[in-house]
Amino acid sequence: MQDISLHILDIIENSVRAKASLIKIEIIREMMRNELIFIIEDDGIGMDYNTLESAQNPFYTSKLERVKKVGLGIPLFKQNAEMCNGRFELESELGKGTKLMAIFQYDHIDRMPLGNMKDTFVGSIIGHPEVDFDIVLKNIELDGTVDEFIFSTREIKKELGDIPLSYPDVMTFIDQLMEEGIKKIKMEEF
Amino acid sequence: MKTLEELRKIREKAQQDMKLRNSNTRIKVVVGMGTSGIATGAREVMKALMDEIAKRNLSDVLVTQTGEKGLSSMEPVVDVVEDGKPTITYGNMTAEKARKVVAEHIVNGKIVNDYVVASE
Repeated sequence: MQDISLHILDIIENSVRAKASLIKIEIIREMMRNELIFIIEDDGIGMDYNTLESAQNPFYTSKLERVKKVGLGIPLFKQNAEMCNGRFELESELGKGTKLMAIFQYDHIDRMPLGNMKDTFVGSIIGHPEVDFDIVLKNIELDGTVDEFIFSTREIKKELGDIPLSYPDVMTFIDQLMEEGIKKIKMEEF
Repeated sequence: MKTLEELRKIREKAQQDMKLRNSNTRIKVVVGMGTSGIATGAREVMKALMDEIAKRNLSDVLVTQTGEKGLSSMEPVVDVVEDGKPTITYGNMTAEKARKVVAEHIVNGKIVNDYVVASE
């Protein structure tokens, strides 16, 4: 993966495959602590202790159809975070869901660029209309100023009724709304 | 600023639209979004498809994502699913090829044979 936004897309797909009905994503730039924080939480089927351990091992995959039993999504993301003086935590419980947290040192020389979060969000939202997304983007500056953008597909779906998310004007609306949010919290800088 | 009021207007317009057409989805386009798909550019393919569908106002086309399908060497992969017709799988897709598939296959009904990797 060339950037963090592609890792996030991969993690979202994991949650979808785990039959999540709600995926919460939080991205925070915390300048006082010099951190870039990613939290992705789902209410999917979850993992037991052994699977949870294995999920962080590059020689494991949950994909049964795979001939080569290798899954690189989570281990690579973990490696990227840890390489940048960061942390990676994965918590899960069978039947409850999974929570993943990756923290990067914000100004670390080896930190991958954030990449295009808008395309990751919009693609996932449109591509999985059966799943709800709660997205919180936050920027905490050195002087303590906080900018925040909150997005929920549940609110949008309530307004839309039976009109699908992939209806052309709706796709454009979501794309523009996300763009506004990203500008509001100055995410282009991240 | 985008407002929910705007969504309500879209909803009214869409409801009129649906009444006229009297049907929902004509074609489903499915993008493979597994790890290898993502690493080879599936997100850009998804983006191009959404963009073309919005631009051409194709309100009877549904675009969705799915996981890995065991075609890793041909990722990114896109399925075009239409009722009563065989499902066409396009492989080694790019944003540009995806736009061509929308114009030729989805709009004009002509399969783009050069990009087809499977059909069933």
